Amino acid sequence: MSSREDILGRVRAALHRNAGNAAEARAVMADALADRRPGPQPDIDNAPQALLQRFRIKSEQASSTVEVLADESQVPAAVARYLGAMKLPTSAVVWASLVGLDWAGAGLKVEARGAVDADLVGITGCFCAVAETGTLMMTSSPGTPAAVSLLPETHIAVVRASRIVPYMEDAWNLARAELGSLPRAVNFISGPSRTGDIEQTIVLGAHGPYRVHLVIVEG
Amino acid sequence: MEIKSMRFKANAEASLANVVLQGNLKNAKGKFVTKRAEAIKELDDFEGTRDAAMAIRNKVIDNLDLWLERFEARAQETGAHVKWAKDGAEVCRLVTEIARAHGVTKVTKSKSMLSEEAGLNQALEAAGIQPVETDLGEYILQVNDNEPPSHIIAPAVHKSLDDVADLFHKVHGTPRKTEIPALTREAREVLRGHFLSAEMGLSGGNFLVAETGSVALVTNEGNGRMVTTMPRVHVVITGIEKVIPTLEDLSTLMRLLPRSATGQSISNYFSILTGVKKPDEHDGPEHLYFILVDSGRADVVGGEFHEMLRCIRCGACMNHCPVYQTIGGHAYGWVYPGPMGSVLTPLYAGIGNAIDLPHAATLCNQCGVVCPVKIPLPELLRKLREKQTEGGMRPLAERIGLRLWAWVAMRPRLYALGAAVGARYLKWLAGEGRSIRVLPAATEWTRGRDFPASQGRTFREMYAARRKAAAQEARQ
Amino acid sequence: MAKKTRVGLFVTCLVDLMRPRIGFAALKLLETAGCEVVVPEAQTCCGQPAWNSGDRNGAEALAKKTIAEFEAFDYVVVPSGSCGDHIRNEYQSMFVDEPGWRDRATAMAARTFELTDFLANVLKVDGVPGDYEGTVTYHDSCSGLRGMGIKAQPRALLATMKGVELKEMNGCEECCGFGGTFSVKFGEVSAAIAERKCDFIHASGARAVVGGDLGCLLNIEGKLRRMGDDNTRVLHVAEVLAGDA
Repeated sequence: MSSREDILGRVRAALHRNAGNAAEARAVMADALADRRPGPQPDIDNAPQALLQRFRIKSEQASSTVEVLADESQVPAAVARYLGAMKLPTSAVVWASLVGLDWAGAGLKVEARGAVDADLVGITGCFCAVAETGTLMMTSSPGTPAAVSLLPETHIAVVRASRIVPYMEDAWNLARAELGSLPRAVNFISGPSRTGDIEQTIVLGAHGPYRVHLVIVEG
Repeated sequence: MEIKSMRFKANAEASLANVVLQGNLKNAKGKFVTKRAEAIKELDDFEGTRDAAMAIRNKVIDNLDLWLERFEARAQETGAHVKWAKDGAEVCRLVTEIARAHGVTKVTKSKSMLSEEAGLNQALEAAGIQPVETDLGEYILQVNDNEPPSHIIAPAVHKSLDDVADLFHKVHGTPRKTEIPALTREAREVLRGHFLSAEMGLSGGNFLVAETGSVALVTNEGNGRMVTTMPRVHVVITGIEKVIPTLEDLSTLMRLLPRSATGQSISNYFSILTGVKKPDEHDGPEHLYFILVDSGRADVVGGEFHEMLRCIRCGACMNHCPVYQTIGGHAYGWVYPGPMGSVLTPLYAGIGNAIDLPHAATLCNQCGVVCPVKIPLPELLRKLREKQTEGGMRPLAERIGLRLWAWVAMRPRLYALGAAVGARYLKWLAGEGRSIRVLPAATEWTRGRDFPASQGRTFREMYAARRKAAAQEARQ
Repeated sequence: MAKKTRVGLFVTCLVDLMRPRIGFAALKLLETAGCEVVVPEAQTCCGQPAWNSGDRNGAEALAKKTIAEFEAFDYVVVPSGSCGDHIRNEYQSMFVDEPGWRDRATAMAARTFELTDFLANVLKVDGVPGDYEGTVTYHDSCSGLRGMGIKAQPRALLATMKGVELKEMNGCEECCGFGGTFSVKFGEVSAAIAERKCDFIHASGARAVVGGDLGCLLNIEGKLRRMGDDNTRVLHVAEVLAGDA
């Protein structure tokens, strides 16, 4: 008997599984799988400005830095300002979707490709953002490789205000509607990487980025 | 992992004498407990969320066979392989086979308690494959001669800054650092090389989502993402009880897990991984394996301890346990310490191997009131005590003592006599003072504290005397 | 004349053996509040040590005895969160194969109260006979707090006493380390936990620690004295409220 049969067999026996209760349980399971109702959620003001504010506050609490811009065209200059102020390199690996912005005009050199260890700055967009916890939702695809927000020491994310949703459940519904099935990797990111494993003292920059800078575009 | 729970009492007392450990535990307690309390306030309806989380977990474990089949089918549709392991030995065999099949020489690991249960690292090393722990706490323990973890979320909670500084200096051969950020940076640099060169990444699984056939990983460091993004093979090892139905259920549980564990509103990284990378994708594994592990879980299903399967491994119970807070995790002697460990160790590693664990509790229920899925831990500990009694495992002196107490307590006149003698004895022992320094029948008590003197007479004697006097007065 | 409330007082084995004055204090409080109090002579032990140690037979035998002795009263009142919790909450989870006893346990549970809860929430007394003066800190015993919801009641009663100044300690809800048989099985760990509680008591600045459970109080007192503290008083809340402290 395979281990699978052995294990499932014992579980079935323990639950007194028979054809009758299996049919009933499968019906309940089908209902559960189709149930999209969220569990209890904390109260959040879901007016767009309120969502943006909450997202900003929560992101800053998670040690990200945040700038709000009126228009996407302002992004490269804002990023250049940030990198200059932090004395960081001016070349970056970026998502393909961002290549069209005027990076060169802001004095930045960007390449749309997968990230490698030598990359120090990674610039991404995000699929959407969750206001409840100040969280970016990243979905993997050929144009949005996962490591761009992981390997570099600095991660900069461009967030459209219109893509800030109240709860994680809203993010799932967007994914279902726009992507159909889940991509290989959905990464929810809330700030720079951190560890508290030495004397419960939080240190930023464990294995992932040391710093996360969010550029929120309202327009 | 080798079980050492039979040495609990001696190890617990050694922990009390360990000054460094005591300092670390005090530090940790303040942080975990206080931060959790703050984070819970964000929820508006903590109790309602707990009820929902309990219902989600019950839904699955009450029909675990069907949910497992559903998860397996969905995962296979996404291109993942699903394997089943009866026990730790089989886990080791399967992982080694997968590694060999893919020409793997190095495995980077993000945290997996199941791999601790199975003693996987030793098995891989014996097969000539190098396992590298990447969770900073686990890494510290690994390079310290594979020291066992003392907490399920913060495995190196018992180690001080100096411990780690000395260790890294010795093991890495680098100049000794004195600051925590510098030590963390050193570990980052050492491990970065491993992340990029390992052919296989191995992780646990916080949850398995039946709706999508995905694994959910809750991490802060980024190592979970590294080991599931860079290598060409990813293996997930997790217990069969970890299935949950939908992404909505995942969101509900995620409101409680990080808050209960570390007091965070959400973990830094929350990764939901489904299937393998497409040909035109840059990052991700080409091969994904799930190893669903039994190791005692199937035998808990449907029985007296069924509710324990709801556990989502947050660690809140041990953080709030007065016994754990005082002795730390190593004394418990196996993978899981504190209240949840005191239930799981007898169940998974043998009730006879962990006789002390269910008794090393005051049944205060500080654990039960913080458990996000409302597991009645004190009741389960008591049931284990009952199982020990039924199995004749209790020490003879204890069995006799309890039997005698109950026998006398069923006989009021004999009991009254015994209590009267006792009350006099417990006054006499104190002499002129208010306290007894040594209690011959209970030196365990008086090793660490006095026993107050009694009043010298029992209540029932004094009450009877007062009533008699009142009756006489009434007659006059 | 209205019929007086008939209360069966379960004094507890520890009170009987060690601190009769707590039993008398409870008696006084209930009689002052207008109850007819009966102290069944044949009572011994509620059976909790047996239950918590895994001796179901011993526990059920003592439970049956206690139920038979007390179920006829209007109320069963216990000056202990520990025994009170056991009688009210655990008895009805016993007797798996004896539904008759289970029903009797459940029926009695509805009328079983810890002393301060009974005084504050059932009798709703607006004052107590005691005249204690001084600073006190309150230790919330685990079974009282988490098993019976005892938190506000003793504080409300103490608040009616002009001379009592309550100084809450940090960690007032934390376990003192007694745990019944735990204290004699893992004595060193138990004493270490007790020391933390004593540190909290000292830090509160109060001259006395008050609580509703004698087991906890004996543990705390024993630790204080071993630490060299002969001054901090250790009192049961009944003693303070009744004026016998």
